[in-house]
Amino acid sequence: LALVALAAAVLGIGTGGQAGAAPRWLALERHVWAPALGVQILFAVDGLSAALLALSLGLGIVSIVVSWNITRHVPLLNAALCWTVAASNGVFLSFDLLVFAFFWELMIVPAFLLIAIWGHGEREAAALKFLVFNAVAGLGLLAAVFYLGATGDPVTFDTFAIAARGVPPALQAWLLSGFALAFLVKLPVPPLHAWLPDAHTMAPTAGSILLAGLLLKTGAYGLFRFPVLLFPQGMAELAPFGLALGGFGTIYAALVACGQTDAKRLVAYTSVAHMSVVLMGICGGVPFSLMGAGIVMVAHAFSASALFLLLGAIYDRVGTRDLRELGGMQRSVPRFAAAFALFFSATLAMPGTSNFLGEALVITGMFQVQWLYALITLVSLVVSVVYATRLFKRVVFGTSRQAEVTEDLRLRELGPIVVLAGCTLLFGLLPQLLMVPFQTAVDAATLPVAAVTGAP
Amino acid sequence: MMAASVLAVLPLIVLGTGAVLAMLLAPRARADTVRAAAGLALVVALAAALRRMGTPDLSSAMLVDDGLARLGQALVCATGLGTLAFLRPARPAREGPALVLLATLGAAVLCKANHAATLFLGLELATLSLIALFVLPLTRPALEAGYKLLILGGIGAATLLFALALTYAATGSLTLQAWAGRGMLVSLGTALLMAGLAFKFALAPFHMWTPDAFSGAPAAAAALAGTASKIGVAVVLVRLDAAGPPEPLWHMGLALIAGGSILLGNLQALRQTALPRMLGYSSVAQSGYVAAIVASGGAGGPTAVMFYLAGYAPALIAALCVAASLGPQARPEDLHGLAWRNPLMGAVLALALMSLAGLPISVGFFGKYYLFAALIRAGAWGLLAVAALGTGLGVYVYIRFLAAAFRTAPSSAPLPLPMAEGTVLVAGAAILLGLGLYPGPLIAALRLAFA
Repeated sequence: LALVALAAAVLGIGTGGQAGAAPRWLALERHVWAPALGVQILFAVDGLSAALLALSLGLGIVSIVVSWNITRHVPLLNAALCWTVAASNGVFLSFDLLVFAFFWELMIVPAFLLIAIWGHGEREAAALKFLVFNAVAGLGLLAAVFYLGATGDPVTFDTFAIAARGVPPALQAWLLSGFALAFLVKLPVPPLHAWLPDAHTMAPTAGSILLAGLLLKTGAYGLFRFPVLLFPQGMAELAPFGLALGGFGTIYAALVACGQTDAKRLVAYTSVAHMSVVLMGICGGVPFSLMGAGIVMVAHAFSASALFLLLGAIYDRVGTRDLRELGGMQRSVPRFAAAFALFFSATLAMPGTSNFLGEALVITGMFQVQWLYALITLVSLVVSVVYATRLFKRVVFGTSRQAEVTEDLRLRELGPIVVLAGCTLLFGLLPQLLMVPFQTAVDAATLPVAAVTGAP
Repeated sequence: MMAASVLAVLPLIVLGTGAVLAMLLAPRARADTVRAAAGLALVVALAAALRRMGTPDLSSAMLVDDGLARLGQALVCATGLGTLAFLRPARPAREGPALVLLATLGAAVLCKANHAATLFLGLELATLSLIALFVLPLTRPALEAGYKLLILGGIGAATLLFALALTYAATGSLTLQAWAGRGMLVSLGTALLMAGLAFKFALAPFHMWTPDAFSGAPAAAAALAGTASKIGVAVVLVRLDAAGPPEPLWHMGLALIAGGSILLGNLQALRQTALPRMLGYSSVAQSGYVAAIVASGGAGGPTAVMFYLAGYAPALIAALCVAASLGPQARPEDLHGLAWRNPLMGAVLALALMSLAGLPISVGFFGKYYLFAALIRAGAWGLLAVAALGTGLGVYVYIRFLAAAFRTAPSSAPLPLPMAEGTVLVAGAAILLGLGLYPGPLIAALRLAFA
């Protein structure tokens, strides 16, 4: 079954890659689905969605390969993994709001099952926390979507039609808050992040990879795409709050990350910090910051997934992720050490990695918006050096206090790591590969706001 | 004209004669024969109701035959069919199928009721046959459930009669249109009418019989009480709403008990440890959603009510069917490993619970859409907030049991499942999944009914 899933996923990438070059959308599919409800299948792909689609399918394969050693309920595991990937693909594709909401809600159950069945420790509680946060936040999205669709005449959920019709300015901020609630919880941004550290820590490795690589990205993607298209005035009103929230989030999460002893928890908090940067980039609303946000989204998927994979591999071997017990890897297991070195430097945005490019662009953009936020991002970069080096020092150098890792990375683990490392470096060294396809999406995201705020 | 009016009441005729026939057959024929005969009657009645779709409306002083009635009847017959299949009365009780037919007949009469007499007749027919169905196993919990329904249903019936009498005194008419009257007596009547219907509809604070029915009575009987009779009462609510009882009493009162039911049902369901009792409280909450749609008084209300019920009925029947196979006190621990002990049951239970929670790929998601959209269009923001809170709580309620089904089991012995239950589960899953992915046909049917 896993093999079938793999083959299907690869096939999906193949067809995704064939999309031709159209001015705005690489591909746009429109089919009637439930006309009485005003629902249609409206899938559109541009560079951003294509990159995220490829990412999600790639991470899907990685997560299936990574969980090869799980022996419990294998068919259901693979079903849940594919279900998650399929649902997030739907999110990346849909431009019919009801279908979008459909896929959005669809992500919850498989991720819940992944954590609740194959997780570690207090997995039930973590899974329920994840569920409650996301289900309640999802209601905000649902209510806003239903409002947008049901009050129109004729009833339609077509994003473009709604955008063309225009949403009453007085309502935009409210409806945007509904959308933003769902997106910000999924992203997540402090103070809405309480579900994430537990969910990541308790989830199995594959679950963590999909959570960090895909589910968080659906939140970022949603923020990137819909607010500007549907609620330009609302976005102009609320963007400063978004910036402030992002600024707070990135510093807060980075500081909290410094204090963690569980390595997986630490990485989870770094995810929160990076996603807060993405939020700042999106709310900045200038081409630089938006481009940066897009690149951080992709880059973070590589680095966080790889770190979760490595930590999962350590946990499989010694049964602990406690920083106080690990250590001395650079002598006993050099491949581990090398992989850690690369992805730590990616996390702290070392030049040469794609993370650096993204963060640098966000910071550049922030200078155009407000120098204070640029300062905050810079400070958060400094803090990220602190936590990353601390993690690196504890895990890789020194001597192991209690848990010595003796077995180096196996082929099954090495393969995905090499691929992820390759991607991180490739897009870090050749940023044009990402920037050119993202350009149309960035343009689309900047224009309406500029039209409202009067900026050139 | 004559032929048309006969065709219009054909479902009732078929159900009634079917019930009598099943009763006659019961002492002599084999249990399966009786069941098959009852099933046949339900199928014929279902077909007769569906055949009338799209034809001109007919109405008399007592009964009305319009799109709403036809759709309601079809739904009622379908739920009757579903519950009949897994009705497992202990020991000789062969009257089961006949009673199912009678309860279905009562609900079908409610769907057509246009007059106080038919309204009361339908309600009592449904309630009395449900009481008999509840006590069929003759166990203590079943008797308790039966007594509770008998006493509370009796109070409900008395309240309803009093309400009808008051309106008659005020307006001199017994048709449902009489509720359009104004004045002290009609207002008092409206309040009592709401209470009487709330007893049957399991709305808080008149819901006390529901959880006991779900945990004590045979699951099929509880499913019938939760679906068929509820569909009938919902149709009555929609018709009364169209008649326009005194305001603001009607909408305000309905909104209050709807909101109360949503909150109380979900909060109580949160605390339950047994699957059937949880479903009982959840059905209180689901009644609350339906009542909230009616209370909002929006133009799309009837469509939303029928869509919601059409999605709710198969989910509840499937969930109760699984619960019945696990025993009346199925705690989350008893559900452990269900997905591996019997994959069909595990999968269908998961689907049914997802549908009740309103999560996608099941029809419940669109039910939730219709609910929210109806409240939004009517501008009922307070009710919308309560419904949103309720669905938020609901997700947690249902997923708790869903997760239990996927946990590792202490024993992995396969769980046997009789053929009939299997059929019900497969059919229920097909409806939930089919309409969840492609709701077009149901929407088309609703359009036809409310054209």
